[in-house]
Amino acid sequence: MSRLFLLLLAASLAPLAQAASSPAELLQGYAAEARQAAPGFSGFSAERGKELYYRRNTKDGKAISCASCHSDDPRRSGMTPSFRKIGPMASAVNPERFRDPAKVEKWFRRNCDDVLSRACTPLEKGDFLTFLTTLR
Amino acid sequence: MRYLASLIAASLLLAGITHAEEHEGRRLAMPAKVNAAWKTECGSCHMAYPPGLLPGRSWNALMNNLSHHFGSNASLDKGTEAEIRQFLLYASSDRDTRPAKAAPGERIVTRITDTARFADWHEEVRADVFRRQSVGSAANCMACHRGAEQGNFDEHQVRIPR
Ligand code: HEC
Ligand code: HEC
Ligand code: HEC
Repeated sequence: MSRLFLLLLAASLAPLAQAASSPAELLQGYAAEARQAAPGFSGFSAERGKELYYRRNTKDGKAISCASCHSDDPRRSGMTPSFRKIGPMASAVNPERFRDPAKVEKWFRRNCDDVLSRACTPLEKGDFLTFLTTLR
Repeated sequence: MRYLASLIAASLLLAGITHAEEHEGRRLAMPAKVNAAWKTECGSCHMAYPPGLLPGRSWNALMNNLSHHFGSNASLDKGTEAEIRQFLLYASSDRDTRPAKAAPGERIVTRITDTARFADWHEEVRADVFRRQSVGSAANCMACHRGAEQGNFDEHQVRIPR
């Protein structure tokens, strides 16, 4: 019985051990991918990340951008159209941000598809994170 | 080992459900042990709608199409998807766990707000009340039922915002 318990405990802790990570580590990963995609890659840009954050697209006849859910000011809370509050995106006010690579990838996959109707590139992901982790 | 772990997880889940509190009246039964992945994943864009609000058939159809989820991409990895599907089916209103297969020409209802039960419950609520700015839409249960996420829809605790 206690063996079984340990087994269960180990199984439930395994994903946690994988999850812990820092935004800097994530950025390193995206930099490696960006370099592979374009050998001329010369670093991420908060300016381009900001442009992506506010870039407007049309979806089902309505304007949509990252800012429409994540708020016009990334230091403030946002709201989904289906009424869920979203904590601020800027690391400066929300240190919990961008710490679980699987979570970050999951939301890039969904939200880039919703807003841009395509996947985001490693360069865009790195720019976006750079904007939000350096914003004061 | 993985298999064993999931087998155990499944039996714990089932045990939780047989012990689920069956509330009186039309308060919905919520499993005693709520699945954590369901709570975070299905509660990130809107309230986590209690599984007892739809039959198994509807949850199955909804889970089959998460990358086109009411105009949003809500896709999950295969493992999490299977785990959540199992939780939803076993705690659904009819505990129907068979794979959903629509008959030719049939459209399986996936909106709670499109069900006949929902219309019955809200017979006395005018359509324009659901459209109030303070409510947003009928799908925003929490605007009027504060305990909605815990499965509490007791009509004596309803408060409609102005
Ligand atoms: C329809 C609403 C919506 C839109 C539009 C949207 N997001 Fe999100 N996003 C969410 C929600 C909900 C979460 C998860 C809640 C949370 O993390 O607090 C999230 C989380 C994220 C995360 C994970 C953050 C973390 O801490 O791991 C990233 C990255 C992200 N979004 C990127 C984007 C980008 C890039 C865009 C624009 C291309 C965008 N989002 C547009 C709703 C949206
Ligand atoms: C990426 C955001 C997102 C995620 C994640 C998400 N949903 Fe949704 N969901 C939506 C949107 C958007 C709607 C439509 C809202 C509207 O039009 O009123 C919706 C609607 C629904 C509805 C219908 C509500 C009604 O009108 O009666 C159900 C049921 C539902 N979702 C279940 C789920 C389940 C189960 C999960 C987890 C597997 C989930 N959702 C995850 C965005 C999401
Ligand atoms: C505009 C406010 C409002 C919203 C939004 C709303 N309801 Fe209700 N609901 C009511 C009212 C008012 C009643 C009581 C009606 C009556 O007394 O006949 C009720 C009754 C119910 C009941 C029956 C309770 C009982 O004790 O008989 C259920 C179940 C229920 N609602 C579920 C939901 C669900 C699920 C949602 C979201 C998908 C929802 N409601 C959204 C106002 C609302």
